Amino acid sequence: MTEDEELVRRIRGGATDDYAELVRRHQSRVFAILHRYERDWQRVEDLAQETFFKAWRALAQFDGRAPFEHWISRIAVRTALDHLRKENKHRKHDVALDDLGEDVLDWLHHDADRNELEARGAAEVLHLALRQLPPLDRAVLIQQELEGRNFREIAATLGTSVIAVRVRAVRARAKLRRALENLGAGPMTERRRRGTDSRPGI
Amino acid sequence: MNDNKLQQLFAAARRETPPPAPEDFAAAVLRTIRCAPAERGPETGSFFDPLNRWGLRLAFASVAVIVLCASADLVMGAAGQPEADDGATQVSAQYFMNVEDM
Repeated sequence: MTEDEELVRRIRGGATDDYAELVRRHQSRVFAILHRYERDWQRVEDLAQETFFKAWRALAQFDGRAPFEHWISRIAVRTALDHLRKENKHRKHDVALDDLGEDVLDWLHHDADRNELEARGAAEVLHLALRQLPPLDRAVLIQQELEGRNFREIAATLGTSVIAVRVRAVRARAKLRRALENLGAGPMTERRRRGTDSRPGI
Repeated sequence: MNDNKLQQLFAAARRETPPPAPEDFAAAVLRTIRCAPAERGPETGSFFDPLNRWGLRLAFASVAVIVLCASADLVMGAAGQPEADDGATQVSAQYFMNVEDM
């Protein structure tokens, strides 16, 4: 029995305080997953709370067949997906290019792979482009490309078949490519690149 | 945008390290749990949860038992031993005979 399983056993037996230890062990992983889907840190914290609360409520269903880490990761991805679906209903895709740095815009505009992109800038531009994709497409790409999961793991997380995930991944990648091209070719980007944008600080 | 550039973007995004979780996060989770009095303990699964979990295995086990019994019956029949339905016929014949006797 692993340490996590032992903790879960004690919590089920009534040792509620031990849940804090379980949270401490897995919080960084949960935050990292959620941060791939949501850039606003306050919202990430809310989603992490929701994830651990859901895990607490479903603790009786944890059967130990997979490590606790995988189980909680799955709950985090589903929580993020629910969040994206709600967000999609209530918010239009307002692309905030203002948040991107000059080096990112330069990188988007140049065909040659001459400059290395800084991690934060890359994550920002990727997030902006991903926001234009349906939630499930985003979830598949994030898990495949950023979290390094294989199709089988993604299918298990999303509760769908491996073939469906494979097909969705191909389509999502094409959509993402178009979204990135649109980002790079947008009128605001053009103005900023030419230095003709009259807004302060640009 | 070519595939190489897309891979470059993913690789750079993978390198990003998220900010650490707040120090008192675990305590905040515990507070949330305690503030939900109706949901104080972890849910004890319903009657159907174990059935859902074990349903497929139980179905396979049942099929395996049926196949085993049927093949044993066939083998015994081929070896000249009385088959299961012979026994049933005998029992029912005895029963009817008893009824007739009464």
